[in-house]
Amino acid sequence: MAEVLELELATYKRLLPSLLKDEGKYAVIKGEALIGIFDSYSDALAEGYKVAKLKPFLVKKIAATETVAYFSRDVDSACITAS
Amino acid sequence: MHYSVLIAPQGPLVAVHVGVSAQRHAALTQAGQPVPAPILANLLLDTGASCTSIDASVIAQLGLQPTGTQGILTPSTGATPHQCSTYDVSLMIPGATPQKIIPAIAIIDGNYLSQGHHGLIGRDALRDARVVYSGPDGYVMLSF
Repeated sequence: MAEVLELELATYKRLLPSLLKDEGKYAVIKGEALIGIFDSYSDALAEGYKVAKLKPFLVKKIAATETVAYFSRDVDSACITAS
Repeated sequence: MHYSVLIAPQGPLVAVHVGVSAQRHAALTQAGQPVPAPILANLLLDTGASCTSIDASVIAQLGLQPTGTQGILTPSTGATPHQCSTYDVSLMIPGATPQKIIPAIAIIDGNYLSQGHHGLIGRDALRDARVVYSGPDGYVMLSF
C-alpha cells in the first residue's frame, strides 16, 4: 500500500534539510512538489485534498528524527519496510 | 461528557463510528462521489498504544488510501521501527450527548478480527480524556 506514497516519501527526504526550520509542523507533498507547510494535521489534510483531490498525497510531520509510535502488543500492520 | 463501558473478556471495548475524515468527506462530495457510511467498530481502549489502529477490513470498506507513514515499535519489531501507512479517518463515539467527535486523526491498519474486536483506541484519541478503570465494578469510565 505504501508504495503509493513512494515518490512523496523520497521528495520529503530530499527536502528535509530545508524543511527543518519548520520542525513540528506538517508538510504536504504531492509527487515531487511541496504543496505547503501547516501548523496542524487538520489544515495539512484539508490543503492536501484541496490540491490533490482524491489522488495520492503525503502529510508528514517535519522532524529531524522520525517520531515513533509504541504498541505494547503486536499490530500486524501491512508494514512497508524496516527503516 | 461521560461514557461507561463494561470490561469484556478482551478488555474495555468502546463502540465507535469510524468514517472518512471531514476533509476527505468534503473532497468526495466536491468530486460528486458517494461518501461511505461510517462503520460501527468495537475498539479496545489501549493505553499501551500511542496511536489508534483499526482493522484493515474497516479501512477497505471506507475506500481509504494512505496519506502518511508512521514508524512503529512493537514487541516483535525489536529496536528497529517498522514503517506503516497511515490513513485519515474520523471517529465518533455515540450514545452520549454531546457525542465525542474527532474530525480527523491518522490511524494505522492492523488485523484484529480474530481477537473479537476491530482495533485499538490509542493515546492519541485519548489526549483529551480522563479514564477510570474500575476493576471491582467491571467497567471503565471515560470522560472528555
